[in-house]
Amino acid sequence: MILSLYRYRWLLYELVLRDLIQRYRGSALGFLWTLLNPVLFMGVYTLVFSVYLRAGVDHYALFLVSAMVPWLWFASSIQQGTNSIIDGRMYVGKAAFAPVVLIFVPVLSNLVNFLLTLPFLFVVVALSHHKVGLPLIVLPLLIAIQFLLTLAALLFTATFNVFYRDLQQLVPIALLLMFYLIPIFYPLSSVPEAIQPFILANPFASIALAYQHIFYQNAWPDFNLLAYTTLTALVLFAVGVAVFARYEETFTEYL
Amino acid sequence: MDAITVRNLSKRFRYVGIPKETTFKESIVRLQMFRRPEKRYVRAIDDVSFSVQQGTMLGVIGRNGSGKTTLMRLLAGAYRQNAGTIKLAGQATLLSLGVGFHPDFSGRENIKISGLILGLSPREIASRFAEIVEFSELGEFVDAPVRTYSAGMYLRLAFSIAISVDPDILLLDEVLAVGDEAFAAKCFARIQQFKRRGKTIVLVTHDAQTIVTWCDSALWLEHGKARMLGAPSEVVPAYHAALAGYGQEPLLVDSREEGDPSPPG
Repeated sequence: MILSLYRYRWLLYELVLRDLIQRYRGSALGFLWTLLNPVLFMGVYTLVFSVYLRAGVDHYALFLVSAMVPWLWFASSIQQGTNSIIDGRMYVGKAAFAPVVLIFVPVLSNLVNFLLTLPFLFVVVALSHHKVGLPLIVLPLLIAIQFLLTLAALLFTATFNVFYRDLQQLVPIALLLMFYLIPIFYPLSSVPEAIQPFILANPFASIALAYQHIFYQNAWPDFNLLAYTTLTALVLFAVGVAVFARYEETFTEYL
Repeated sequence: MDAITVRNLSKRFRYVGIPKETTFKESIVRLQMFRRPEKRYVRAIDDVSFSVQQGTMLGVIGRNGSGKTTLMRLLAGAYRQNAGTIKLAGQATLLSLGVGFHPDFSGRENIKISGLILGLSPREIASRFAEIVEFSELGEFVDAPVRTYSAGMYLRLAFSIAISVDPDILLLDEVLAVGDEAFAAKCFARIQQFKRRGKTIVLVTHDAQTIVTWCDSALWLEHGKARMLGAPSEVVPAYHAALAGYGQEPLLVDSREEGDPSPPG
């Protein structure tokens, strides 16, 4: 797989570039759309949870955005990527071509969007009179873990979506439920302690918490939790690669 | 020397009724009933052997569904065979209709992407770009989305890219039928030139005259089997004679269980 990625590195680059250009082509606001998403989320959630419901979280906007920005990278990669093999049907099975390239495209192009939204996160930090300090050095590690986890999830959803097309209807629902079950818009402390282990079993939970630690609390993330997520991501990725490799050859018959 | 050696090549496909009807709900229901759907297969290529000498041109004929396109895709490495071996002396590039173009991208963008898929480096693409556009006669349309192209424009672009890759083996699947006569003549001139340089060509076409005129040998496929292999002047008349006798036979689908849908090839 690494070999075919290397072989098709320029293709991957070109497809990611096309994907990014395509997204903004013909839109009046262009890149601002990518920013608009977290901004709108921040506005509405802040209104609901710090004005209506008074969740009692200081600087709620910052609290929310710190975990929301990485979540949006994950969610939009999965949402877009589940269809990646089907969307790439004009390339699959028509030439010697590695379909795995198609799985990397949405993760990478959404990574670029994520990196472009990071400055917004720093702006919110500054506006909230918070500080980001040394724990920021963990950020590349967080990005790497999330990258692996997202790819692992996509290997499953994109593969099975070829055979079960209704998966693409199920994915947004699953993402929405997952969003509610991860402490992104509420603090982990508001979850009853007996339930917390179940919440933390979700590999994305530790990533969300780590972002809150870095950007909201200026503290070091919980490395034990991150180690758990890394391990889970690695196992999922290995199984995902095996599943993908097994079904890859039958794609052409279903596309 | 043989540029292509194919031995006992077989490829079967799962027979897929209406794939879009398979849903999660359905498969759960099926599992609950402990009844898995019977697996059925179509033998697209069935124990085919042949070889093509370097610098020659092989014409492949056969009725619709006889396995011509599958054979080409196997040779190009797009499919993996279930049995048998394919030996190629060098790189093979497949050119067929509806291949590899993203409808929303411009001709220019598609040239880049197709070139990369076919194994060119960005530098090679840049250096051949002008030549590709010129040969394709697309002019300004090279910046228009491919979905706005006519079938002829689409084909001209595809042919121009494939020939610019300059592979050792060129696989042409029913592509010369679409262009107008002038473009077809231009393509044939290019193919001839290609052949003179010692390159090998496999051509699928329904135009028997093309095979008799241009090809050095001919392969007749029927229901995935090699019915006849030999000189075009012998194979083509035999094919025509048989064609006259054909009725409306349906394609064959094997009903027996054959295990794993994707065994290691």
